This record gives sequence, C-alpha cells and structure tokens, in this order.
Amino acid sequence: MKVIENIKTIPKVQKFRYAMIILTSMTLLGPLAFLPQLVGSDDLCGSLCMRRFYLYFPGMTWEDFFVHVNAASIGVMAFSLIMITTLFFGRIWCGYLCPVGGLAELSSRMLNDRWKIEFRSLPQIQIRYGYFGFFLVAMPALGISACSLCNFITIPRLIEAMSGEYRGMMFLVSSVGLVNLGLLLLLGVFASKGRAYCQFMCPIGAADGLVNRLGAKMPFARRIRVAKERCTGCNICARNCMCGAIKMVDRIATVDQVSCMSCHECVDVCDWNALAWTTKPNHKVNEPKRIKKNTEIFPLPDWQAVHFNPVKADAVESAVKTGPAISVLSVFNAMIFLTVISIIIVGSFL
Amino acid sequence: MLRFLFLIVLLVLGHEQVSANPRYSDPDGCLSCHAYEGLSFIDEQGVLRSATIDSSHYASSLHGSVPCKDCHREVINYPHKVENTEVDCSESCHVEEPSEGVKYTHDPIHKEMDKSVHSGGWYKGLTGGNRLEEIETEQDPSCRRCHSNTLYIPEAQLEKFKEDFDHAETECGNCHQGKAWMGQFGGHILRRLIGRRWNNQENNQMCIDCHGDHEKMRDVKQEDPETLEEHPPSDRFVYSTDTYAKTLHGRLIADDSAYGASCIDCHAPLAWKHDIRSYTDSESASHPDNLPETCGQSDCHGYTKKPGNEGFTLTDMHNLTLVNLADFKQPLEEESLRGSAWFWSIWPLLLFGVIFIVGSFIWWLLYRNTKKIIPIVGGDRFERVMVGRKGKAGRKKAVVKKPAVKRDAKPKSEVKETKAAVKPDSSEPIVEKDKPVMPDKAETDISKVDNDTNNKGA
Repeated sequence: MKVIENIKTIPKVQKFRYAMIILTSMTLLGPLAFLPQLVGSDDLCGSLCMRRFYLYFPGMTWEDFFVHVNAASIGVMAFSLIMITTLFFGRIWCGYLCPVGGLAELSSRMLNDRWKIEFRSLPQIQIRYGYFGFFLVAMPALGISACSLCNFITIPRLIEAMSGEYRGMMFLVSSVGLVNLGLLLLLGVFASKGRAYCQFMCPIGAADGLVNRLGAKMPFARRIRVAKERCTGCNICARNCMCGAIKMVDRIATVDQVSCMSCHECVDVCDWNALAWTTKPNHKVNEPKRIKKNTEIFPLPDWQAVHFNPVKADAVESAVKTGPAISVLSVFNAMIFLTVISIIIVGSFL
Repeated sequence: MLRFLFLIVLLVLGHEQVSANPRYSDPDGCLSCHAYEGLSFIDEQGVLRSATIDSSHYASSLHGSVPCKDCHREVINYPHKVENTEVDCSESCHVEEPSEGVKYTHDPIHKEMDKSVHSGGWYKGLTGGNRLEEIETEQDPSCRRCHSNTLYIPEAQLEKFKEDFDHAETECGNCHQGKAWMGQFGGHILRRLIGRRWNNQENNQMCIDCHGDHEKMRDVKQEDPETLEEHPPSDRFVYSTDTYAKTLHGRLIADDSAYGASCIDCHAPLAWKHDIRSYTDSESASHPDNLPETCGQSDCHGYTKKPGNEGFTLTDMHNLTLVNLADFKQPLEEESLRGSAWFWSIWPLLLFGVIFIVGSFIWWLLYRNTKKIIPIVGGDRFERVMVGRKGKAGRKKAVVKKPAVKRDAKPKSEVKETKAAVKPDSSEPIVEKDKPVMPDKAETDISKVDNDTNNKGA
C-alpha cells in the first residue's frame, strides 16, 4: 500500500502534530464541540471570539474596550494564554492546536501538489500586517463586520454541514458563507501546504507573530533556530516550510520569526541538523571549546533565531539574486501604508 | 347591545362580617351587592364571570383602604352597566407621589404607548378589563400581555421575600410605625425592592412569545407610513427573532451574559420602554438617523456618537441573508435561486473548473515524466524568491529518475560529526563560493539530494 508507506515516511513530530490537530478539531468543532459546550457555546463565536475585542472604533474609550473584553471574556483569556505560550515556546497554538488553520492544512496535504497555488513566496509580512491594520481600524470604521471574512465561523459551520446539521448547511448557502467557503478553498485547500489564510488574514496569527518575533531574542525562548555554519543550502527546509517562513538568503536558510509557527517540520527534514527548536545556547560561540595542536575546535553549534542582513555585495555577486532579508520594519510600513490605501479603495466603493 | 344575566340577591348578609375589619371602607355601599357569594354574570363571549368581591381579601390587599369609586369612577347609578366599570388608569390616581405631591397617573405611559407600533391593542384607557383570552385574536398586545401578574411574588424570590419581611419590622418600622402601614405597604414596597425585574433573557422571551411565531406574524398587517396602505409583513419582520438570535447580541443573551442587548434595549431605549416604533418612523430609536444615539447608550457602544463611526451603525442586526437559515425552502425556490449568490457564482466557478480540469490534463501531458512536482500557480516564483533557483527554464529539463526530495539517512550521521568539528568563526560572512564549508562531502551530498544540477545557480 503506497498510502501506508507514505504515512510511514512522515516524521515523528509531524505525526504528533497532525494527531494534535485532529484531536483539537474533534473537541473544539461541531458536532461534538465538547470544549465550547463547557462554556455554553456550540461554536467558536460569541464569548469565545478571539478576533473581535481588539478592534478599534474611532473615538473609542477604555470603557468601551472593557465592554468588548467582557463580552468576549473567554476569548480574551484564550488569546492571552496563546500569547504567553508563544513568548516561551513559539507559536504552538497556530502550528499544533488551531483546528481552523489545521484542518485546512491537513486537507491540503491530502491533495497532489500540482493542483495547488503557491502563496508562500508572496510578501507575506506586508500583506498580513496590511490586512491586520485594515481589520483593526478600517473595517470597523467602514462598518464591515469583522466576521465577514472570518474562518472561525466557516470551519465549524462546514463541519456542522458535513455532519448534516441544519444551521451549518444554511450558513454555506448565505453570501457570507459562500465568500468564506471560497476563501477556505483558495487560501486553504488549494494553497500549497494549506496555510495561506494563516499567513495573510488571521489576526490572531498576526498578533502572535509579533510576540514570536519579540521573544526571539530572549535567551529562554524556544524558537526554530538555525546554525548557519551547518547549513549546506540544500533548501529542503524552505520547500517544506508550510508558512513560507524560511527563505534561502545567500543559500543559507533564514527563518522569519514573524511568520514561523514552530511546526518543527524543517527540523525533521534537515539532514544536517542545521535547524533546531531550542533555546539560546549557553556556551560562548566565539570562543573555541578547545585548542588541539594549535587548531581551534568549535564543536558546538551557534543557534540563531534572528538573522541580520548578510553582506549585500556578496548577494549581488552571487549568480542567484535572492530577495531582501527579513526586516521587522516592514511590519509597521505595511500596517500604515496598506491600511491607508485599503481605506481609500474600500471607502470609494461604499 | 350587550346582554347580561345578573344573578342578584338583594339581601345583604355579609355586612357585619366585613365591618369587623378596621380598614374596611365602603362609603358607596358597593359591597352591599358585591360581597354576595356567587354574584356573577355572563359576558359577551359567553364566559361566566364572577363579580364577587371577597371583602376580607379586598380589605387586606394593597387597595384595601381605597373606596371602590376612587377607581371605578363611571359607576354613578345603581344598578350600573358593565361598560362603566372599566378603570381608566391614565387618569390621576389616589396615590400621591411623596416627593412631588402630585397625584400618580399612568398618563405618560398611555401617551407613549399611543405612538408606538403596538397602539392598536386593547390597552386603550388602560382598563382593568384587559384579559388575556380577549386579546388572543387581537394583533396588538394589551398591557397584561407583557406585564404578567400571575404570581404576586415569584416562587424563586419567596424565600428572600420572607427573610426581608421579617426584618422589615426593625428596618422600615423605625419610621413607619403601626401595623396598618406594615400590613398595607410593607409587602408592596419590599416586592419592588427585591425587584421583580426581568433579566434580558426573560425580556426577550416576552417578545419572542409573539414575534417568534412565524404563522402569527404572517397575519400581522403593516401600514405603509406614506400611503397608509396596509400590506402583508416583510420577511424581515416575520423572521426578526431568528435573525436576531444569530447576532452577537442574541448569542450573548442566550449565553446569559450581561453584555448582550435585548430587544427593548434597542427598540425602546428610553426610560419607559413602551416607545417601540417602526424603523421607518423618524422618531423611532431604530431609525437610521437615530441609531448612533441608540447604539451609543451608556454601557454600550459609546463611540458611535463620535465622528468617523458612521459605518458602525450600518451593521444589519436583522440580516435577511440569515433568514434563509430559518426557512430551508426559500433558497431552493427558482425565483430566489436566480438572485442568489450561488447562482451567480456558479458561472465563474464553472469557468475556473473547466480551466482547472483542462489545465490538469495539459499539465499531465507536458510534465508526466517530471518527478519533481511544482504547483502550477506560483511555483516558479517560489523557486526564484524563496529557494533562489532560476525556475521554469530549468524545470523542463529536469527529467530525473529519483524523487527530488529524498531523505537519505546514510551520509547524514557521518557528515554531521565531521561538519560540526570544522566550524568557522560565525562572525564571518557564512557562505562563500571559494571556500565551501564542506568541500567534498557537502558538494556530493547536495548533488545527491537534488539531482537537479542544471538549477544549481552558483
């Protein structure tokens, strides 16, 4: 059986990850929706919503904000829990637990690659934070419901519809449901590795990514780190990275910590142990561990989470011109410029 | 003309018995007849109604010291007609507001109700004759439809009431001395204090009792505000409770959260809660012009009144696209199907589908020998930007026998050890063509990993 053979080749950590996603899907989504029912809800909306309370309405005061927080109290708790775990362990929620992104990913992985659209090479930081700014500021002001492009409604409803539940089927017939189904197919099932929605449109992921990048320089934080001297430039990690966070800059794998979900797949596929999900090493990297016969020996790797721009001259000289290295400034540029532009575009339509 | 069968007995037997109560007052002698047990009449619906007043019950009630004619003002002659017995609560009452010294009246409520959409109901004159069985056929509710008074003190609050009542002697009794006061007002005031106030869920249930009944709502006649013509209700009206239940407001209240907005929170946000009007009425709280004020009530979305939030009030709280959820047949009818998003989106989807199927076939024809599978859309760009390869030109030639991605365990351990031992200083630029990190091993292994030698770039 070829399928079983294929399944056997899946790395161990990835098997665990898929199992976790299936487990959370079964507990968080309908028809059982076991965990939401503990707090009296049968989907991920209402008081469980994690995507609404930080919206900014013009002239909003702190009191209004607290009303929003209280209305989505459980969602706020879950959101802060996610942020705290992200600070220490990387984006574990996004990669291992999120049933919404996870289901899209799993269904996409079941399809042949040639039927898919490759979104990973798009400038995802710019698009994501541009949309994030638009989502936070412009959509409330323009009166567009934050739920209109939300896949946290769609996936539970889709599961409901497949389990024959009336409400789920009816949601998919409505225009909001139709748009969301299109998004799910376009940015989920038919996207390469199925994580394009997470890359571009998920506001939780956008906030999570910023926390991930913030904690990347802290020594206690577990992140996907690269030992540059071990990297051979074989690019297998970049091909396998589901969120397009690894880019070959001058033929060295470079991890974009704003996008990385710590899914561990790059570590599993790397034949050279050049990547690891680890904390900052204790040893001093610039001093040799020992000197033997006048030879300095560096047996321990230098795990780096954040990469700086390599020397530009070399990049130009090399035969392959790669894109620019990852810069955090682009987050803020995108948030400002794309938000303003999208306000103008959408505002003119309305 | 109404016909009533009066069973009147002229002998007054209960007089002495009642007068034993010190609070009894019957200056007009009404009880000379009405105290008689079994005094009853048949009303126009043919229902046998009791006209007996149990004088001891009455005397111990809140109105025990109020003479009958204080409320039943129309009764002048004897015997009197039934129409004249109706009590008009919109007139001034015997109770004086202690702070203002003005006689109490329901007149403001009456006036407010008069302007509301429910003004057609038998609330006119706020008569005591608003009986539930009489308004079943009416379109508009009477007072008692909503202000149900079936349990004087609800069961759930009885324990608390008893407890408070025991303490009333010491707490209220400091100032309000005398058994008469305590007996007469103590219970009434305590009931108000404990609060027979409905929570939002119960408030909504009150509205849903009528508005949730689709059959009943279809029979409602709506009036056009301009032409004053009556027309059958819109779907938006019929399914209003279903669409509301889908909104965040409805869900929060269903979850028993204090932060949801109930029906009357938005439709009658002013103090009296009777001013429910059609959204077409320019004075209605749900009129588009008044929405910023309505949504921006205290504790709600205070920012809506501020400039820049005009869009906020555009959110449809009774979204008709969700009405389809309530009625399965509707989207399947031909007429609504043609106008539906599904119908229009099926054409581009069909187009894309055809392109997809044909494209897949052509792809298979062209690249069936290629083992390396690259997505149709964006694959080249990925190769170029993320991986740093040339892309298309190389891929056509890349006819290889082995799969491109092969996890070869053998050289891995070998290489790892040797490679780790020869670590260059990390401050240097890492990769240089002239000095590869692993001159022999790495080079050979790269070529093993992807045999795609044409694309190597460097």
